[in-house]
Amino acid sequence: MGTQGFSTMQPKPNPGLFKRNPPIAGEADAIERAKNGDPDAFSKLYALHKRRVYTLCLRMLGNVSEAEDMTQEAFLHLFRKLGSFRGESAFSTWLHRLTVNLVLMHLRKKGLQLVSLEETINPSEEDAPKRDFGSRDPQLAGSVDRVTLERAVASLPPGYRMVFVLHDVEGFEHNEIATMLECSTGNSKSQLHKARLKLRELLRQPDRLPPVEGLKEVAL
Amino acid sequence: MSDLTNVNFDTMTVAEFEEYLPDLFATGGGKVSEDPRFTKFLAANPDCAALVSDLETIAEHARSLFEPTHEPSDSVWSNIADKLKNGIVGDEDGINGTEHLATE
Repeated sequence: MGTQGFSTMQPKPNPGLFKRNPPIAGEADAIERAKNGDPDAFSKLYALHKRRVYTLCLRMLGNVSEAEDMTQEAFLHLFRKLGSFRGESAFSTWLHRLTVNLVLMHLRKKGLQLVSLEETINPSEEDAPKRDFGSRDPQLAGSVDRVTLERAVASLPPGYRMVFVLHDVEGFEHNEIATMLECSTGNSKSQLHKARLKLRELLRQPDRLPPVEGLKEVAL
Repeated sequence: MSDLTNVNFDTMTVAEFEEYLPDLFATGGGKVSEDPRFTKFLAANPDCAALVSDLETIAEHARSLFEPTHEPSDSVWSNIADKLKNGIVGDEDGINGTEHLATE
């Protein structure tokens, strides 16, 4: 194999937020009715999307109380802004982006004012993944289940967790994350890679993962 | 991030591979293990192959987390309904001046 250039690489396929957010039965009708002030329709939108919005808030914040507060804020903001939704993106995508931005604004208000997240999302050296590139531990394939992964994600340092949730779970692109977090695309890629490395470490010792407390599991 | 323009993926070192990996995942569709350009390198470096496999496993399983797993308490809707009923959706909620947050 000879020299391979970056330019010859296949472009990353769009994760397809529309595919991941297919229209929900009754959603379009509820949106139109809610736009016209129908309270029952807005209640239906809440019922349809509360779990995803809350789960997103919880993963980003790692705190039940704050996640519930931000879920409330997101739906109140939705109520005010629903009229501006034109259907150019999936409603879920639009609502999730709105929610992410509200959570980030909340975090900045808490203590990140005037400071770029690029400077603050980097965890301490202690939290950073260890450089155990050469280890020959058993591979993870087949040993990762959803509950264990959820616990491991909850154990990530906040900066890592943020980028991992936005990219690998929510499906946002690095350029979108960079815009939202006010960091460079390279920083987003780097943080995601470190998050995955840290998860690898955590998943190798699942017995050491703390339980995720205070969560009301949904029966799927 | 790394400039991969002139990289020879067959002869790169493990350290170089580690440096390039974030970009390789970001630009290669997330499937480094299936990219034929890395077949030789990964075959010669099983630890790197194991790392790639693990990171791909984590990314694949992360998609399963997209479906919601948690539910807010009933008080969240009660609070929302109360505020809507009383017309309190403005400054009191600290959400004015956030028009830019709701863009398509």
